[in-house]
Amino acid sequence: MTTPWIATGLSDDLPCGGVMAGRWQDTQLAIWRSASGQLSAWKDRCPHRGMRLSHGFVRGETLSCIYHGWVYGLDGACKHIPAHPALTPPAAIRVEAFVCVAQDGILWLAPAGALDAPPSLSGLRAVRSISLTCGVEAVLAAEPDLSGHDMLRGAVNLAGQMHDICLLAQAKPDGITLHALSDPRADPVHVSRWLEALRRRAEERVAA
Amino acid sequence: MIASQVLNEWYPVAMEQQIRAGQRRDTQLLGMPISVALQDGVIAVQGPVRTFPVILRFGHVWTCPGTPAHDLFTVPEADQPGRRLVDVGVVRVKCSPLRAVENFLDIAHFPFVHTDVLGAEPHTEVNRYEVQIREDSDEVWATKVTFYQPQAAKSAEGGGQTEYMYRVPAPTASVLYKTCPARPGEWDVIGIFVQPLSEELCEVWPWMALFDDVTPQADLIAFQQMIFVQDRSILENQLPRLLPLDPGMEIPTQADLTSIAYRRWLKKRGLTYGAQMVAA
Repeated sequence: MTTPWIATGLSDDLPCGGVMAGRWQDTQLAIWRSASGQLSAWKDRCPHRGMRLSHGFVRGETLSCIYHGWVYGLDGACKHIPAHPALTPPAAIRVEAFVCVAQDGILWLAPAGALDAPPSLSGLRAVRSISLTCGVEAVLAAEPDLSGHDMLRGAVNLAGQMHDICLLAQAKPDGITLHALSDPRADPVHVSRWLEALRRRAEERVAA
Repeated sequence: MIASQVLNEWYPVAMEQQIRAGQRRDTQLLGMPISVALQDGVIAVQGPVRTFPVILRFGHVWTCPGTPAHDLFTVPEADQPGRRLVDVGVVRVKCSPLRAVENFLDIAHFPFVHTDVLGAEPHTEVNRYEVQIREDSDEVWATKVTFYQPQAAKSAEGGGQTEYMYRVPAPTASVLYKTCPARPGEWDVIGIFVQPLSEELCEVWPWMALFDDVTPQADLIAFQQMIFVQDRSILENQLPRLLPLDPGMEIPTQADLTSIAYRRWLKKRGLTYGAQMVAA
């Protein structure tokens, strides 16, 4: 069985030193990029008091929890507990890691141990993410030029020219998020406007 | 079905002054709709089928939806001459009422959540302190708690070592005593009274009894509100929302001795409304 890779955002939206919330299926994750550019995706919960690590802060090659400042290294192990500066944290204090890969401008997530690579979208350029309160079916109904399920593809007319579009659909509890890519000739502003119009049409379809 | 131990406790449900001023408060307690209002000049709490007993204390209205197992706790220091009693108002927080109390007992978060006010790096160390469950009063107490604070109170100028004592006299209320900047040798008293609307939603009433003749009331309230709003950003983002009483769910350290004692005390007394007993 192949690994179920899930797109969770755009690589450009997570700069070095940044942290964001993401999810793989129903598992909430904290995704962060170290000062040197290393990507990590961890369960979004500090083992100490359950605080979301996605609210934390990056210093160098570590992520700290915002609640009590517990410091975690790239291997997911707790390196430092500020309340007890002289203590070496027990090895048992560690966060559960997922795999996070940036490819074709998209951040992809898979459970630990994933051996294969995310689906290739080479030749396309990541444009933006957009959240919708409806499902994929409504998007397909609103835009018959697209087809697929998790990965919607098609040729779309943007300002009088046909362009190759790919939308990676990520299920959320209250709808979906689409991570959009286009061929590099398309103007990102045109892609963005088209996406916003698509959202309106898809959501109105559900409301109607 | 709510355990009788939970029903037989006292809970804060309103600020006395607001009800006296003629405001009626329709709210919730342990998931039950209640209303707090003046009836013939007396403050009454109306439950779904009957009126509940009322105690007016610390500027707040307290009620018990069951049969009171004991009197509401007292804070003798609040009656000392020269203290200013400050009702801060209410902050609604989407968390377990027990998580709100536990956060109040915690000092290790000061440098990270109340940065440059109640704490600041590199002064992050929590020294060993003493914790006990006092058998005579059946209260959790932490004493000899010390911590470096850049601005311990609205009246404080510059940083310094602050000493604290913490006390949990009721399942959803806590009172702390801390070094008083204006009057060395005395304690400032700060409480939080937590109204459990449901297991995962509460309203928090901070309250203060301070020696401070200088700071305007509005500034005292704003200071405490600022602190609590910073706490709210944590409380609404802890997972799970219920307080885990299963020791395997979270990893405490020596700095968490007060919280460990609080969790044990809740468990022993069956006060598990807002708690999670086994890992989900």
